[in-house]
Amino acid sequence: MADYLLPRLLGLAVLTPLVSFFAILLFGTRMGKRGVAGGVCATAAILFSAVLSFSAFGVWITTHPPVPVAHHGEHETGEHQTGEHGEESHGHAETAHDEAGHAEAAHAETHGDGDSASHAATPHYTGEIYLLGKFGDLRLTISYYIDALTICMFCMVTLIATCIHSYAQGYMHDELVDDYVDHEATLDDGSHVHRPGRYHRFFQYLSLFCFSMLGLVYAGNIVMVFVFWELVGICSYFLIGFYIERQSASTAANKAFIVNRVGDFGMIIGLMVIWTGLGTFSFGDVPLFDDNGVALVDEHGEQLEQPGIFTQVRTAVAHHTPDGIIKAASPDETAALVAVAGPDASRAELSQLIDEQVPQWRAEKDEKGAPRGYWLMIVGGVGIFCGCVGKSAQFPLHTWLPDAMEGPTPVSALVHSATMVAAGVYLVGRFYPFFVPEVLLVIACTGVFTLFMAATIAITATDIKRVLAYSTISQLGYMMLALGVGGWLAGMMHLITHAFFKSLLFMCSGSVIHAVHTNEMTEMGGLRKKMPYTAYTMLVGCLAIIGAGVPFLIGFSGYYSKDAILEQSLSLMQTPGNPGWTQVFFLAAAGGAAITAFYMFRLWYLTFAGEPRNQERYDHAHESPKVMYVPLVVLAVFAAGVAWHLPFPGSDSPSLANVNLTNLLEQARPLETLADAPGQLIAMTWPAEHKSHASGIVVQATMVAFATAMGGLLLATVFYCWRKLNPEDVRNQFAWVYRFLLHKWWFDELYNFLFERPVHFVASLASAIDKTIFDRLIDGTASVVKTFAKWFELVADQKIVDGAVNGFANRVYASGLWLRNVQRGNLREYVLFIMIGAAVIYMLMSFFGGGAIAG
Amino acid sequence: MLLAAINWHSFFFLFFALLACGFAVGVLVSSNIVRMAFYLVMSLSATAGLFFLAGAEFVGAMQLMIYVGGTMVLLIFGVMLTARERFINMQTPGGQWVLAAAAGGLFFFILVVNAFQVPDWNTPNPGQDQLAIAESKTTTQIGAAFVGVRLDRPEADNATQRAGMSGYLLPFEIVSVHLLVVLIGAAYLARAKRRVDQPES
Amino acid sequence: MNLLTDPITVSHYMVVGAVLFVVGLVCMGTKRNALGVLMGIELVLNGANINFIAFGSKYLRAETLGLDGQLIALFVIVLAAAEAAVALAIALNFYNNHSTIDVDRADDLKG
Repeated sequence: MADYLLPRLLGLAVLTPLVSFFAILLFGTRMGKRGVAGGVCATAAILFSAVLSFSAFGVWITTHPPVPVAHHGEHETGEHQTGEHGEESHGHAETAHDEAGHAEAAHAETHGDGDSASHAATPHYTGEIYLLGKFGDLRLTISYYIDALTICMFCMVTLIATCIHSYAQGYMHDELVDDYVDHEATLDDGSHVHRPGRYHRFFQYLSLFCFSMLGLVYAGNIVMVFVFWELVGICSYFLIGFYIERQSASTAANKAFIVNRVGDFGMIIGLMVIWTGLGTFSFGDVPLFDDNGVALVDEHGEQLEQPGIFTQVRTAVAHHTPDGIIKAASPDETAALVAVAGPDASRAELSQLIDEQVPQWRAEKDEKGAPRGYWLMIVGGVGIFCGCVGKSAQFPLHTWLPDAMEGPTPVSALVHSATMVAAGVYLVGRFYPFFVPEVLLVIACTGVFTLFMAATIAITATDIKRVLAYSTISQLGYMMLALGVGGWLAGMMHLITHAFFKSLLFMCSGSVIHAVHTNEMTEMGGLRKKMPYTAYTMLVGCLAIIGAGVPFLIGFSGYYSKDAILEQSLSLMQTPGNPGWTQVFFLAAAGGAAITAFYMFRLWYLTFAGEPRNQERYDHAHESPKVMYVPLVVLAVFAAGVAWHLPFPGSDSPSLANVNLTNLLEQARPLETLADAPGQLIAMTWPAEHKSHASGIVVQATMVAFATAMGGLLLATVFYCWRKLNPEDVRNQFAWVYRFLLHKWWFDELYNFLFERPVHFVASLASAIDKTIFDRLIDGTASVVKTFAKWFELVADQKIVDGAVNGFANRVYASGLWLRNVQRGNLREYVLFIMIGAAVIYMLMSFFGGGAIAG
Repeated sequence: MLLAAINWHSFFFLFFALLACGFAVGVLVSSNIVRMAFYLVMSLSATAGLFFLAGAEFVGAMQLMIYVGGTMVLLIFGVMLTARERFINMQTPGGQWVLAAAAGGLFFFILVVNAFQVPDWNTPNPGQDQLAIAESKTTTQIGAAFVGVRLDRPEADNATQRAGMSGYLLPFEIVSVHLLVVLIGAAYLARAKRRVDQPES
Repeated sequence: MNLLTDPITVSHYMVVGAVLFVVGLVCMGTKRNALGVLMGIELVLNGANINFIAFGSKYLRAETLGLDGQLIALFVIVLAAAEAAVALAIALNFYNNHSTIDVDRADDLKG
């Protein structure tokens, strides 16, 4: 039943926002007064998607009830899962076994049947909806891949999007006028831009974004992911540039789009590696059919399948290099084999010859110790990760996200904190089996640097949305770090929890901005009394992001996910044999946690506590309407409790008692994180994630996390609430650090120097070359052609063509004049003509007609 | 002897033929319009004689009545009505005469040659003498043919064919109506108009 | 071939018809008087009529057109009369308009 229901429920959930998009696109201006119903339409659509998603969630937990994670004894867990889900997962439990029988090398490395079974595929549903095209073995399809992660993402995205749609109806209320005055867009003459309100347009883009984001999560192959990836990119572009009349907004939109293209270039390289090596883009296995739609079966009568990416990389052995990659990495040897086999060998014989060589090739290592094909895996992994770096605003492509805050705040909440930027992390998580340890190291380094850098920048920022933007970058860095150090579950969990609390924080900030009409925190203060809902829901968000909680007992959602990250980085650090510098991951994460706590509460204190700094704005402020603060409350509840291990409400069944975020995500865990992963090129071992649940690590990490969070909180309180210390003094003391942070580590300036200037220089050079050489060349060619054309026209056209036509016409005219003489109107001549004509006709007929008349 | 050898039929044919041809040539060569009319009457009358000789008495009679009577009266009226100046003479350039004579000669040559080329045409009817004189009375047959009965062709065995040859009632009616139309038209065209334009300069 | 002793054949009639016909034609071709042209037409019709009669005569051929020839000749005579009436009317009209019946002057429609 689930395999029937889930794709349809979720597919419908994907399509509903698209319908809304088209409805608003076509009829937006006619939807009520100034398109006010467009907002209702979009909200209803996403609400419907949310209902469908939660229905799917219900279907999932009834068919795949989560089981508690046993923190000790991975074998027990593995077998337990297999017993529960192996049969339900489309028979993929045998995949590893098939693979072992298929490739002898894999067989040699398999540690026996029990172990093989314990690495059975995670429960999932996959299938093709529509075949777009087929190129050899490569199938371009619209397909789906649904596992617990997909379900979680769907619920998260639709829930947050519903809240934000509702919120945006209030927030974008200003646009419901025929003559909207944009005070931030100034024309040359100093006046402000007047334009019609674009209320429905906003919801139109929002709907398109929801469709793209859900499609991205729904996608069952990497090409479809890429397509939706670009779609969310273009939606982001539209939404950042919503106030297109503002110079800053259009620049920011361009910047976001172009910076993302840099990352996508790497991603395309990764896609090429996957195509070359694995020959498929599909995540899951694809049943094979012949041209007539009849299923292909092997000699045992079982359905043949084209193995998907996951089947090829998720084999019994972690980071087992797929056969295809090894073949792709051995072009010379393959050519030699083909040469030896001679020209008569059939394709099947050749491929068999090559297959026989694969185990031997796999055993080989190059001079650096990398097995064959390993570099290809690294290139592919880093390539895919490049795309994620761009989309998730990681160093070095992080500069677009703060500028993207030019978009309306609901957009920042939805697109640039909760969903789209998290898509990069999601893709890393989805592609996790493809990443070899060396790639993971790259991911971890990127993540840790990003989280630290962004956190420090956030300290000095005074624009409330920019603080949150850097906070977002920092938190995304956390997720990348988590994934990079082997904490798949930690990263994914932080993705979900972060989405809730960060969207909450953004919406609260939007509510504040809506009230005081400024982004600068230096003009706020004391707003707690004016807007209590906003203030206290934001407090919940702040507590959630810093991971506040009672250690070992209960906490806000961030408490669970951030602790898990710290645990895993600690586990990596403590794994025997790992070099000492791996401490950096743990220390930076812990330090980042302290900084996070500091800047978040700095933000809260500056905004809501203390005395108003700008009395005029303070007097003007008011609590937002209900349509805006109700979503805040809803999100606050989720931000606080999404990770709680509560008994599932309304369920007496013991199997549903274990439904919580951790256990759900555990179902989608890639198998390789169940075992230690040694690096091939570097002397490091990535510990299995279970090991981070060891009590020693947990206690240590939790205490550190609590201490750092409380420390940061305390520091912020001292500075900005109790005002025992003056931030000004510190600022003066560390003037150079302050300047460094205020200028965002001079990244924009650095990029300006590194890329923009050279590009401008090259461009001006090229332009000069273009103007002086090519333009002249083309102009010269053109004038030559023109001259020739003129000459040719004279000769060919006027003389020959015109001459022929005119000559013919003249002849016709002359003969007409001559024949005119015959028609003189002389009756008697006509009689003569008749006579002569009759005689001539008679003679002609008697000469040529065979005497038919006179016969 | 010579007189006995004369085929009188042939003789009268010759006589009438010479008359017809001679007066026709007279029409041609005369330039006096009244004389031309007279010669034409003579020629047409001689033709009527030829019709009688060929056994077409009724047609010959009609020739005399309609042509020689009716048509010539019309013609002479025309002559008199139009000849303001007496016996107007309109000379034809000599070149045209030559041209017309050459073309006419050519045409005549073709026709005469053709007339003698079919053996059936220049062979006398062998049973000419056996024909009873009574059989040549054709008035009854023509009259019957006009109202739809063909007495001269009783031998056609095919009913459809007989139906197809069932006389000339319809053509007769058409011709009658035609004549009526023509006479009305002629009267209309020739009706007296007081306005007589001066000849244009 | 002695014309006086030999029986008459169709060919003889045809020769007479041809003479009338050609004379009529030449008459049409040379007369400037419209009435002269009209007389030429009458001659041409007569020449044709002689042929019809000859081919329809029982005396001249065993296998003849019979009554058909005579009937067509009758029609021709009637049509000729009709035509003469109309032609005279036209000639009168022409005369009224141009004060002449010279056909060479009838070139108003000349191209």
